[in-house]
Amino acid sequence: MTSSPSAPAVRIAGLQKWYGSFQVLHDIDLTVQSNERIVICGPSGSGKSTLIRCVNQLETHDRGTIEVSGQQVGRHTPRMHIIRRDIGMVFQHFNLFPHLTVLQNCTLALRKARGMGQAQAEDVARHYLERVRIPEQQDKYPGQLSGGQQQRVAIARALCMNPKVMLFDEPTSALDPEMIKEVLDVMTDLAKEGMTMICVTHEMNFARTVADRVVFMDAGRIVEQADPETFFTAPAHPRARQFLSQLL
Amino acid sequence: MRFDPEFALSVVPTILHGLGTTLWITVAASLGAAVLGFALEILRRSNRWLGYVMRFVIDAIRSTPVLVQLYFIYFVLPVYGLTLPAAASGVLGLSIYYSGYLAEVFKGGIDSIDAGQFEAGKALGLRRRDVILSVILPQMLRNVAAPMGNYFVSALKATPYLAVIAVPEMLGIAMEVGADSFRYAEPMVSVGIIFLILALCINFFVRRLEQRLQIAHQR
Repeated sequence: MTSSPSAPAVRIAGLQKWYGSFQVLHDIDLTVQSNERIVICGPSGSGKSTLIRCVNQLETHDRGTIEVSGQQVGRHTPRMHIIRRDIGMVFQHFNLFPHLTVLQNCTLALRKARGMGQAQAEDVARHYLERVRIPEQQDKYPGQLSGGQQQRVAIARALCMNPKVMLFDEPTSALDPEMIKEVLDVMTDLAKEGMTMICVTHEMNFARTVADRVVFMDAGRIVEQADPETFFTAPAHPRARQFLSQLL
Repeated sequence: MRFDPEFALSVVPTILHGLGTTLWITVAASLGAAVLGFALEILRRSNRWLGYVMRFVIDAIRSTPVLVQLYFIYFVLPVYGLTLPAAASGVLGLSIYYSGYLAEVFKGGIDSIDAGQFEAGKALGLRRRDVILSVILPQMLRNVAAPMGNYFVSALKATPYLAVIAVPEMLGIAMEVGADSFRYAEPMVSVGIIFLILALCINFFVRRLEQRLQIAHQR
């Protein structure tokens, strides 16, 4: 089934998920258009990470539907790995492959999943390593890089696959403070270039400058959605107000 | 009787006749233990009930003395119709004995790979097979290389056990020389030094391997 060009990048409807008897996601409805930048925030345990991990089915949902570029995904979707090639993901703990160089980390999926030749894959990889401002590290191993550098490599690795939407799962939460900016700068550049992004983060300044919409989650529900200006100056829901007062 | 260094030196060539046997048994037993140990660990992970059975098997193997296991294969199995030549019995016995330990090494090697590695591979759209071959397996091999090198040395040191089932390895030959000449001290010193040199050489290469893998494997 081919994806339709006018379909939203991600459409989530009536999503519910349980871990055993504990319901972790309640009635989630969320639509993300192409080129939209969404920030999802909320207290720990609100289900934010679980939600975006359902989008590329690293977690499976129990009820409701998820469509990525018009294509439905679920636990029984055949050839999910092909759909995942159009969804990029950046993890809190980077998850770079330690036995491969920076360049090899980026070219692996291009060669194995997109069937690219070595030379062409390396060209693509170098292009994105320049985009994240780290081209000189191409022959280093992840263990030789700082956290901020590793995360930028992880972003480049995901971008190499030319995804239609990028998912960020708390990309700066495991970084020392002085390295957060370099990663956020790369993400801001990406946003300016029009990449569709769904970003779970606690970095409120980033949300304020970059997001088109802020989604606030609490206890497995979407409690409030608004543009950043409205959300940060005049949040409607008491839980959102409480969360912001603790944060800012 | 005074220790006679000349005699000790003179029996070295005789003892070294067993070097080939010692080495091929070490290699065969190490390979056998690796294959068996890997199979045990994969079976243990495959389903719950098989896991319990394999857990018992692995623990039983690790809990009985290696000499007992060797005697069992050499003396008890023939009663039930399975007679193997001495060297083959020895290799089988050592393989089974060390497979228990190597199963644990493989378990550690696989468990120590972060779950996020598999997720990252999946998220990039790699097929499960490619994730296992390109992401998981290389890391697992790096994780187990050093412990396996150490077990290789252990297998070398265990080959003298096979003297009790009449395998012509180096200690057995040293004992024969001692019996023939009524001088045991010299052959024992010689064979001890030969084993020491062999073990030191293998340890040296294992450490070199460890260092090379360290650079590539830093987290």
